Amino acid sequence: MSPVVTIFLVVYYAIVVGIGFWAVKKGAAKNLEGYLLGGRQIGPLVTAMTLQATSMSGYMFLGAGSAGYTTGYWAIWYASGDIGGGVVNLSIIGRRMRKLSKIMGSLTSIEYLENRYPAAATRLIAGLLSVFFLFFYVLAQFIGGGKGMALVTGLPYWVALLIAVGIIILYTYLGGYFAVAWTDFFQSAVMIIGVVWIFSAALHYLGGFTAVNNAFAKIDPTYLSIWGKGLGYKGQWGQVAGAVLIFSVGYMGWPHVVTRHMAMKDPKTARTAGLYSTIWNLFFVTSPYIVGILAIVILPNLKDPELAIFSVAGKLLPPAVTGIVMAAIMAAIMSTADSILLQVGTISSRDIYQRFFNRNANDKQMVMVSRLLILSIGIIGYIVALLRPPGVFAIVVFTTSVLGSAFLPAYVCAVWWKKANTPGAITSMLGGAIVAFVWKVAAIDSATAIHPMFAGLVVSIVLMIVVSLLTQKSSPVPKHILKAMEEAESLGDIPKDMVNMAEFALNAEAEEIKKLDQE
Amino acid sequence: MFGLPGTTVLVLFGFPIFWIIYTIIFLIVSRKWGKVEKGGKK
Repeated sequence: MSPVVTIFLVVYYAIVVGIGFWAVKKGAAKNLEGYLLGGRQIGPLVTAMTLQATSMSGYMFLGAGSAGYTTGYWAIWYASGDIGGGVVNLSIIGRRMRKLSKIMGSLTSIEYLENRYPAAATRLIAGLLSVFFLFFYVLAQFIGGGKGMALVTGLPYWVALLIAVGIIILYTYLGGYFAVAWTDFFQSAVMIIGVVWIFSAALHYLGGFTAVNNAFAKIDPTYLSIWGKGLGYKGQWGQVAGAVLIFSVGYMGWPHVVTRHMAMKDPKTARTAGLYSTIWNLFFVTSPYIVGILAIVILPNLKDPELAIFSVAGKLLPPAVTGIVMAAIMAAIMSTADSILLQVGTISSRDIYQRFFNRNANDKQMVMVSRLLILSIGIIGYIVALLRPPGVFAIVVFTTSVLGSAFLPAYVCAVWWKKANTPGAITSMLGGAIVAFVWKVAAIDSATAIHPMFAGLVVSIVLMIVVSLLTQKSSPVPKHILKAMEEAESLGDIPKDMVNMAEFALNAEAEEIKKLDQE
Repeated sequence: MFGLPGTTVLVLFGFPIFWIIYTIIFLIVSRKWGKVEKGGKK
């Protein structure tokens, strides 16, 4: 490995670990709200950048490059939706979710669902679905980090993986959400510098955008078509809808992403953060796909398409710049892995351990439990990643489809539809997850040319509407929730008597009493 | 344009323009969010 690349990586790692220690010094772990949500003090720029860096995983440097390399301009459909993912999320649920979560005293995105759709089953189902699918997601990031580090540094895979995973665990363990948000902010800057640099270098090398497209026309003109190489996707609007939806509206269904709304300094933060998100996405999102497409001409005989961007960087850039691109790739991977690791630890501690096993745990104990679970999940992830299960990045798209299908209607209706009730939310979550899962596993997507995300989303939306309407009499939305929704709808500060409303804290107890009464 | 078919150009540049317009509309629609909350009144 070039000493310059080593220096870049060492400096990069030192900065992210330094942010972890700085977060501890700032008192990020002094109470549970501080540890899980950064004390709800995150401003618009950091909110926008943590939202984007968390959403854009290592997939953008490995999977997106591969999609461009193997399908040509078809891959642009994914980027087309992705550019608006941040602003859609912030504009539709950002402000209201920040306000409603504060009124309900929710500290996790799963607890928020239980408070809005009161039932132990809501939390159990949402918690288990999230932990199961997010674990695969974080696993993909770990493996991507280990593979990338090993490729560039020449270190054995297990050592490279240990370094990458060890650093993520360290700063997440230390500073919780505050450290994760600020490292994401730093990493988003590294990511955009890296991707713009490699994009410019590749275009310059090929003599400009028109020249490269003329070169494609000679290799295989169908690469230029929006329907993909060999026109393989021609007329498949179900696939197009899924590709556009997955990274645009799909983000609103990801528990680790919507947590960003709950941690904002105030509801109006969503407005400025939306602007910053779009600006960042316009420069970042399309570039990795295009670099993958350009790699068809630059490196026509590439064995592993997932390494298209790594390989283009290695071929075209001097070592110093390769160091920046390598840091950008690690930044994309780590900024997603840290958020998911924190989310999985949080759900396991707050939504499963405290909710179902130890109601009386105090803040100090819960910070400790969260930290221990982050450490344990990180270690388990490391061990599984050592085995390098195949097709990991395919899992990322699959996992995001399932999570988006399961949770999107639940999160959107939580703030927008007063008739959305508990049976509607539970059937919507289960139905969406099952359909998206089965659609992919049973290869129904290939047979029908309909993307799993599109199929799952249609089912979960229909179930939310139909079941909620049919069960309005038997399961009406409680009055205190309607009152909280009305307050979330309005502009202005939350009235003092509505902050952390007692009714929501008593939800679980009320439910148990109701059960006892029925018995 | 750029040696690409019309539909590819439309998707490649049309979606970014759409999202820019969406963001501008969002900023216009939400322009009162900050002002109202500074005063703490509805």
